[in-house]
Amino acid sequence: MSSRQSGAAARLKKPRGRLPGGALAGAGFLLPGFLGFCVFYIWPFCVSLWYSLLSRPINGAFVGLANYFSMFVNPAYLKGLANTVRFIGVSVPANIALSLGIALLIRTLRRRRELFTLIFLVPLVIPSGSTVTFWKALLAYDGALNGLLAQFGAAKVNWLDSGLAFWMIVLIFTWKNLGFDIVLYLSGLGNIPREYYEAAWVDGAKPAQTFFAVTLPQLAPSTVLILILSIVNSFKVFKEIYLITGSYPHESVYTLQHFMNNMFASLNYPKLTTATTILVLLIAAFTQGLLRIERKASA
Amino acid sequence: MKFQQKSAAAAPALLLLLGLLFLAPLIVTFTNSFMTEGEIALNYTSRLTLFDLLDGVKEKFQTISLIPREAGLWQYADALINQPSFLILLTNSVKLTVPVLCGNLLVSLLTAYGFTICTWRFKEALFSLYVIVMLMPLQAVLVPNYIIADALGIKSGYLAIILPGIFSPFGVFLMRQGMKALPAVYFEAARMDGAGDFYIFRRIVVPQMKSAIAALLMLTFIEYWNLVEQAIIFISDYTKEPLSVYLSRIAEGRVGLVFAASCVYMFPPFWFLTVGQKDLEKGIELSGVK
Repeated sequence: MSSRQSGAAARLKKPRGRLPGGALAGAGFLLPGFLGFCVFYIWPFCVSLWYSLLSRPINGAFVGLANYFSMFVNPAYLKGLANTVRFIGVSVPANIALSLGIALLIRTLRRRRELFTLIFLVPLVIPSGSTVTFWKALLAYDGALNGLLAQFGAAKVNWLDSGLAFWMIVLIFTWKNLGFDIVLYLSGLGNIPREYYEAAWVDGAKPAQTFFAVTLPQLAPSTVLILILSIVNSFKVFKEIYLITGSYPHESVYTLQHFMNNMFASLNYPKLTTATTILVLLIAAFTQGLLRIERKASA
Repeated sequence: MKFQQKSAAAAPALLLLLGLLFLAPLIVTFTNSFMTEGEIALNYTSRLTLFDLLDGVKEKFQTISLIPREAGLWQYADALINQPSFLILLTNSVKLTVPVLCGNLLVSLLTAYGFTICTWRFKEALFSLYVIVMLMPLQAVLVPNYIIADALGIKSGYLAIILPGIFSPFGVFLMRQGMKALPAVYFEAARMDGAGDFYIFRRIVVPQMKSAIAALLMLTFIEYWNLVEQAIIFISDYTKEPLSVYLSRIAEGRVGLVFAASCVYMFPPFWFLTVGQKDLEKGIELSGVK
């Protein structure tokens, strides 16, 4: 015990040093969690990667990248992937722009900033299932929105069972997740030194100029992080799609997760594991690339 | 600074409008939960009644109205007392969420502390492994979850959802961010006094981390209270489902009590938000500190 303490004390004076005592004590705390992390994440990831190279998991032949090639001619998979990418491509930039706008508005308030942040956080915290009935009643073919249109003599619109479903889901996702980005932008805005704005004001910069010359560049690190987290979070939209439109939605909102659910139903391991590996690689490449850009930008 | 003044006057109005739009689904769900089942049934259907036909109404739509014609707690009574299935499903949600909350907090605190005091050369590389897995969307983790659940023989049950939740990397990340911010002086002073690592962990680190702990608990709670994907894959028995999945089905069967059920269901996270807004915001901010 005493050697461990003196080792740790010495470590504090020399933080970079490698002392057996500190390493040992640290390992004692680290190990249980790390073992669980390996068992439930790292190891099954490796198994999944291995399965994706086999024709089937038990007694399967090694087929190399054949599963991967077959994925890229699988129309259902391609549809799911394309929709997921399209969804991210539309909703993430929209979320970023809107949340920055709202964060800037909240910053101009002298009072009640907390209250308004709270309002935008509410959709984020309440479960998706609790508002499903509302969305359905609003957007159904015989729903309230079409009822409103009918009062103006307009024709009924198929909100959920046409290409429009995609935009409805973008809207619902934005409603649900905007608060997250707003909080991140508020904290980013709070970190910009006041002097920058004073300097810009002294130089006679117009508000628009200040925004583009001070605010936006200063927010770049926040924006990169919001971009990464929004992309990761955007996959959560499946909850809304599933709860509102069920297992068989309109093809414009058929996502990767729908494809994978079908593969789960038939337990098609080659397809499941290949789809997982591709997703892991895409996300890893994307987030690591963005993090690198962010580090370079802030260095 | 004319522009500034103008925008300052317009900002609250604009925000208020947007805020009302954001809260609309909640307000409707809330007020509708006090309607009678009859009123709900009448509002949320487009089927024509005999009276409609006599009135010459050819087409009807569902109506979303704000104010109940007759307000009362009928729906709540029905959901909480007369309809045992609702309580069973609510219990399912609790059974799934609470073990993850407790287990994940404990594991995350211990592991993060290990990372903080550990002097091993490769610990940063190890930690980046946590970050990479943390940044994976759920969809990328589901198949590995299924593989390990299958290997352990727990693939149709709560454990298949709870165990990966306990070891989820996000908590480790968040706790480590929080511990990094603690001043080294605390540790130093404690060590000078001859305190052991576990003593420091329990008596010095954990009490200092209250806000980060609250943040983690809230974010985990929101995540698991709103569980959908895992439930579809791992739970095939309808009576074992959490409310998060079932609520969308309740509406198809008995629309009459769905609003009260929704309100009961969204109340805990809503309440946590109102008391722990600062902590939740801190959690979100920390998750953004790469």
